[in-house]
Amino acid sequence: MSILFKGRVQGAQISQISTYQRFLMFFVSHFRQALGSLGELWRSKAASLMTIGVLGLSITLPSTLYVMVKNAENVSSGWEQASQISLFLKENASQGDIDQLLKRIQLWPEIDAIDYISADQALDEFKQLSGFGDAIAYLDKNPLPNVILVTPTSRHSSPEAARLLLDKLRDEREVDIGKLDVEWLERLHALLDVVKDLVTVIALLLFLAVVLIIGNTIRLNILSKKDEILVMKLVGATDAFIQRPFMYTGFWYGFLGGLLAWIAVILLLWWMSSSINVVSELYQKSFNLTGADFSTFLWMLGLSVFLGLTGSLLSVRRHVREIEPK
Amino acid sequence: MIKFEQVSKTYPGGQQALRKVDFHIEPGEMAFLTGHSGAGKSTLLKLISIMERPTVGKVLINGHDLSCIQRKQIAYIRRDIGMIFQSHQLLMDKSVFDNVALPLIIEGYSHKETAKRVHAALEMVGLSDKVKNLPVMLSGGEQQRVGIARAVVNKPPLLLADEPTGNLDPKLSMEIIRLFEDFNQAGVSVFIATHDLGLIARMKYRTLTLKQGQMITDGLTDEFQSDDLYV
Repeated sequence: MSILFKGRVQGAQISQISTYQRFLMFFVSHFRQALGSLGELWRSKAASLMTIGVLGLSITLPSTLYVMVKNAENVSSGWEQASQISLFLKENASQGDIDQLLKRIQLWPEIDAIDYISADQALDEFKQLSGFGDAIAYLDKNPLPNVILVTPTSRHSSPEAARLLLDKLRDEREVDIGKLDVEWLERLHALLDVVKDLVTVIALLLFLAVVLIIGNTIRLNILSKKDEILVMKLVGATDAFIQRPFMYTGFWYGFLGGLLAWIAVILLLWWMSSSINVVSELYQKSFNLTGADFSTFLWMLGLSVFLGLTGSLLSVRRHVREIEPK
Repeated sequence: MIKFEQVSKTYPGGQQALRKVDFHIEPGEMAFLTGHSGAGKSTLLKLISIMERPTVGKVLINGHDLSCIQRKQIAYIRRDIGMIFQSHQLLMDKSVFDNVALPLIIEGYSHKETAKRVHAALEMVGLSDKVKNLPVMLSGGEQQRVGIARAVVNKPPLLLADEPTGNLDPKLSMEIIRLFEDFNQAGVSVFIATHDLGLIARMKYRTLTLKQGQMITDGLTDEFQSDDLYV
């Protein structure tokens, strides 16, 4: 469609090809430009590798931190699931009362399991484990209370729900004291939140730096091709057509940077896994690093490509427009 | 085809390049634009290809006022105008084929169609055997002919040439002008800016003369006195 000359056909219209073929040509030409940009990167290997390196490593740091935080959360939530409520029963509660209580609370929907430890049982256990066996024999009376260990169902094992359950259990007549030890868990959670915020801030700053670096690299690319762009504009290339190869360059930077970041994260986690195992053994927890899975990989790749495209878009918008034949 | 109505162009800084220029080139006409360097020839051509906008007045192509053309549309306007430059404006790291094919690739022609048209255009300018060469391996005249092939490859209705024979000897210049005549005979309007008066004098074409931004003569070459310029 020509603006000046009615009836003059331009471009692909002249050969009367079908919409489908034009559609196909569109992808073919995009594919060619994409490959062309990749070839361009290959021709200036050292410079491209440096840019890809910057991008990759900038994504590696927040990704690794993210995987670590996520794992720490998994671990702490694992501990949380196991959280139990200890109910210490009143001394004057008779065995019948206790049996009644056990029957009653067993039916509560919040409770997964209960474990009754009588005072005598507890004393026996204490004798065996503490090594004070003989000394305990001198006690004239068992000082230990009867205890019920309550395990909430998984739905009611979060700190808030467990606390509600604890209050309800405390209201029972036979219960003297109820204890739920989740405060340290809450502190851990608060700490993890701070770390998470920190990771987010670091990530945002690094991503911004990546966008600026890619933008500047593409700007230099554009300036080094100034003559070519001038000629293309003289023979009627639109800005969009001229921009495309540079956008693909940004895409490839992002894609290759994302791959590099992925490899770097795997290597880092592998390298750190032995020291992590030492820590987790100290806590008597078997702990596998998770989170470095395929969906994380896709996320990283997508993010990286997005950053590459954003950087090049910012640059291309400004600088391709600026170059005008005079 | 090209119509100027009271066009003036003042560059930022106050340099007045054109003063109230009026002329009309008919469709299918071939005309020359001449004058000293600095007389405003290049500015006039830039107004046609929208590299510059007039300060006052109207420029029309085929009845369309160019002041109505938005920035985004300029690229499409340039596809209708084949432009030839003194400095050739070729891509030196691309082959002759790629250079000539550039306008077709931009317009989205298929590979087959592109190859067909490029070969036809190169045949017209007599460079069929140099398809795979790089422009640096060609002589000045051959480079200029590559530029011409690129300008005509998408068959524009209008050809603009800015000093196309600038660096060429008289014989080669004449060959280039003969090429333009061939295109003109095929119905293309041709507008050539040149200061090569000797070349114009040998032909019988309408010639517009600029002097210090003003149009001083407009007529056929045989009525045209080259001395006029130097009064």
